[in-house]
Amino acid sequence: MVATAPETMSPPDRGIRWFLAKQTSWSRAVLGSGIAVLTLYIVGAIAVLTSHGWTGTCPEGVTRLECSPSDPLAAGLKSDGLGLVGMVTVVLGSVIVAAAIASWKRMPNRSAREAVISGGVLAAQAVTLSGALLWFRGTDIDRFARNFLNISLIGQKTGLVWDTVVDSIGSIAGVMLTWAAVVAGLVGVYAWLRKTGPRLVIYSALIAAGGGLVWGLISVASVPSFIRGAQNTLVLSGAGAALGFSLGLVLALFTMSKRRVVRAPARIYINFFRGTPLIWQIMFAGVGFVPALRLDLDMYTIAILVLGLNLGAYSSEVYRAGIQSLERGQIEASRTLGLSYFQSMRYVIMPQAIRRVIPPLLNEFVILIKDTSLVSVLGLTIAQKELLGIGRDIYSSSFDATAWLGAAAGYLIITLPMIGIVTIVEKRMRSGLTSVIG
Amino acid sequence: MNSDGTVVRLEGIHKWFGDLHVLRGIDLKIVPKEVVVLIGPSGSGKSTLLRTINVLEEPTEGKVFFDGVELTDIRTDLNRARTHMGMVFQQFNLFPHLNATDNITLALIKVLKLSKDEATTRAHAELEHVGLSDKVESYPSQLSGGQQQRVAIARSLAMQPKMMLFDEVTSALDPELIGEVLGVMQDLASEGMTMVVVTHEMGFAGRVGTRLLFMDDGVILEEGLPPEVINNPKHTRTQAFLAEVL
Ligand SMILES: Nc1ncnc2c1ncn2[C@@H]1O[C@H](COP(=O)(O)OP(=O)(O)OP(=O)(O)O)[C@@H](O)[C@H]1O
Ligand SMILES: [Mg+2]
Repeated sequence: MVATAPETMSPPDRGIRWFLAKQTSWSRAVLGSGIAVLTLYIVGAIAVLTSHGWTGTCPEGVTRLECSPSDPLAAGLKSDGLGLVGMVTVVLGSVIVAAAIASWKRMPNRSAREAVISGGVLAAQAVTLSGALLWFRGTDIDRFARNFLNISLIGQKTGLVWDTVVDSIGSIAGVMLTWAAVVAGLVGVYAWLRKTGPRLVIYSALIAAGGGLVWGLISVASVPSFIRGAQNTLVLSGAGAALGFSLGLVLALFTMSKRRVVRAPARIYINFFRGTPLIWQIMFAGVGFVPALRLDLDMYTIAILVLGLNLGAYSSEVYRAGIQSLERGQIEASRTLGLSYFQSMRYVIMPQAIRRVIPPLLNEFVILIKDTSLVSVLGLTIAQKELLGIGRDIYSSSFDATAWLGAAAGYLIITLPMIGIVTIVEKRMRSGLTSVIG
Repeated sequence: MNSDGTVVRLEGIHKWFGDLHVLRGIDLKIVPKEVVVLIGPSGSGKSTLLRTINVLEEPTEGKVFFDGVELTDIRTDLNRARTHMGMVFQQFNLFPHLNATDNITLALIKVLKLSKDEATTRAHAELEHVGLSDKVESYPSQLSGGQQQRVAIARSLAMQPKMMLFDEVTSALDPELIGEVLGVMQDLASEGMTMVVVTHEMGFAGRVGTRLLFMDDGVILEEGLPPEVINNPKHTRTQAFLAEVL
């Protein structure tokens, strides 16, 4: 008998197409209407609000009680149109949720069941959101809008003035070229060591030049002050992180020394910075230590130094935990092969430890971004103020709490991508635990 | 080679872990081409003794000589001495971030200062030696336990050591994988490598060993030719231990 060769099979397609092919007309309808009702609600609400306007201008010399820039938004929120959108969403959404609950168990395959469940959940989200909106319409919207929804305030301090940009084209180009050159140089060395092609260098230089262009524009043009604040927040946290993460690594190696005379000072340093509040450290350095010693440092530099020294203490514990989480056998095997302690650290321990500490270090970085707000206790100049400082400035001149919301939005715009990166990195490093739980 | 013809000489070794007296006076001489098999109950100090030979554990008292050089003298360059002594562990201890070839070339390049090409050639030769020429690119996580342990052995052999230390290298392996690793060790012994082997594989001990040491409670209680000790243990402790493992 002649054995036939096994048929060559390509693995089954498990993508979106496979998912769609498994749907029944009912499951398709439930998922479709779930998506539709949520979209209808969001688009409808935005359309109604936009038709009334998001912000307005008041005539000169009118008191805030008679007219506020947020009046159009308040009117939109109170309008019958928005009420209608909300009611329709609640009714339709509830019907879809009920249909999904009644039918999900009877779907013939897993994909169809998932589609029905997802449609029901989306509809439930639409119902919840519109319910919240309907409740919100029952409160004192005028007052709320006056305090928190004066959106025009966030763009305050003039828009981009092209005159200043034209005047400074030289310096903007300078910033651009400098950044491109620095990054191209660094990446070039890396590419040379790793023997990768020149493409990496070119792309990096282009990206850096683009960043430099934006940076230069923000620096010279008269931009909304929150953008300037965000720039300062980035500089403070970026420079603080560079200092803190490198200091932390050195401190971590010190705390793991077998010699007490090396360990002790590192421990004292770490415990001091972890044991006192960051705001105390900033104030002590800014108004006590540095002026008393007559050190020639401006407040901005002091802020960066303190943030970095503080982060050094925290990140050293992260590094230490990462290094100590490796098996003892790794360094023993390495030493047995004749590698010295430092070679073992460099080639065996650190490459493994770094992978483990990247997510917690990124978390420390997110915390640092928010902690830059404490710098506002130092007397920074307008040009040096970060997000919270700007928010406070605007609030104290306008007594409008929307300024605080502007600062929060600025922090979120910076931190959310960072948090996203942490999630992605963690997901790539994790084994398949989610599928077991979810 | 040094004057008394030994590769390793231990003199009056004592080791305390805190209050725990783990090695209690050990003297041992190992000459070239010997295959010394070390057996004994759990906790008797076999691993500690083995790790004393390449000074992964520093003895509290006593001297360790390797090739005529005193390793316990703090002025000795231990890193250099260790390149001449291979060691293989129960848990393999391969470097998980490097593939099989790079696991081997790391020390060749960084310690022996070979060029990258020379190191790679030697690594591939050693992998072939242990029957893994098709796994040169594989990472440890892509290898079975037996294959990982053979890479670990190849990693040590690539340094061209004068002797090899094996600490229960088959204990973490599934029964069907033990044979392939023992085979590699047996070949090595027949090529004339000086070896110290801690193991519970009595068949291997009797077949390959040239000398058997029975350790109990931090001392070497009995020693002799493997078949004689296994078949005719003199000491009651040895009899009890062998009755249990055989
Ligand atoms: N680093 C250490 N710190 C403290 N005690 C230790 C250490 N290493 C080993 N010991 C103790 O020393 C004794 C001997 O350990 P060793 O590992 O040498 O035993 P062994 O004969 O190899 O045992 P096994 O067959 O279980 O591997 C044990 O009681 C063990 O708990
Ligand atoms: Mg042991």
